[in-house]
Amino acid sequence: MTKKPKVYALSTCPYCKRTRRFLDEHKIAYDCIEVDLLDDAEQDKAIEEIQKLTGKSSFPVVIIGDEIIVGHDEERLRKALKL
Amino acid sequence: MTVHEIERVFCPVCLAKFKFAEGWKEGDLVICPICGQKLRLVRSAEGWIGKRPEKGTEKEIRERSEEFARIRGYVFGDVKEEIIEGLMGKYKRFGDFYCPCRMNHTPEFQCPCKPTRGGDVEKDGRCYCWFFLKKT
Repeated sequence: MTKKPKVYALSTCPYCKRTRRFLDEHKIAYDCIEVDLLDDAEQDKAIEEIQKLTGKSSFPVVIIGDEIIVGHDEERLRKALKL
Repeated sequence: MTVHEIERVFCPVCLAKFKFAEGWKEGDLVICPICGQKLRLVRSAEGWIGKRPEKGTEKEIRERSEEFARIRGYVFGDVKEEIIEGLMGKYKRFGDFYCPCRMNHTPEFQCPCKPTRGGDVEKDGRCYCWFFLKKT
């Protein structure tokens, strides 16, 4: 079985909400990390991970298998999830 | 010869100083021409400063955004209400109206953020969040 998609989001960001809504509407199970709601140490770790993966700190970041999608991009989500 | 120094008002939101206009007096409500914040004029030992009369309220951030858009001639994107909600979330958790689409909680990312105040909308047609858009 392939790993569940992982979403790095900000609780205040409208585009993160749209990505999560898109996944919910397509009944995709995923893990979501709301980076701004983590405590300091966990937050630093998550930001470091995002920077390592994407080279920047933009949100949302969606990891689906080897695919890393930065920003709300339904076309790329569909493709990566084979919808 | 007497040199008259131009009086300026310090804005606690964008941290800039703008010109004190003729006729203004202590207690007046004025709008910061740089970020759109409504300020009450107070004279301090360091000169004129602006106080935020409705600090932290939804009214404050709505008015600031609307004044900023009016001053610059921008329009709002369709995410306006979600951004306002996000800005309220930032205030609650991080103590001020920082950009809801970023993890930067420093004064330069107070909405409207420094890149936006610096002309990103003219350059890119939009701010980082697509909150402020250039009129087409």
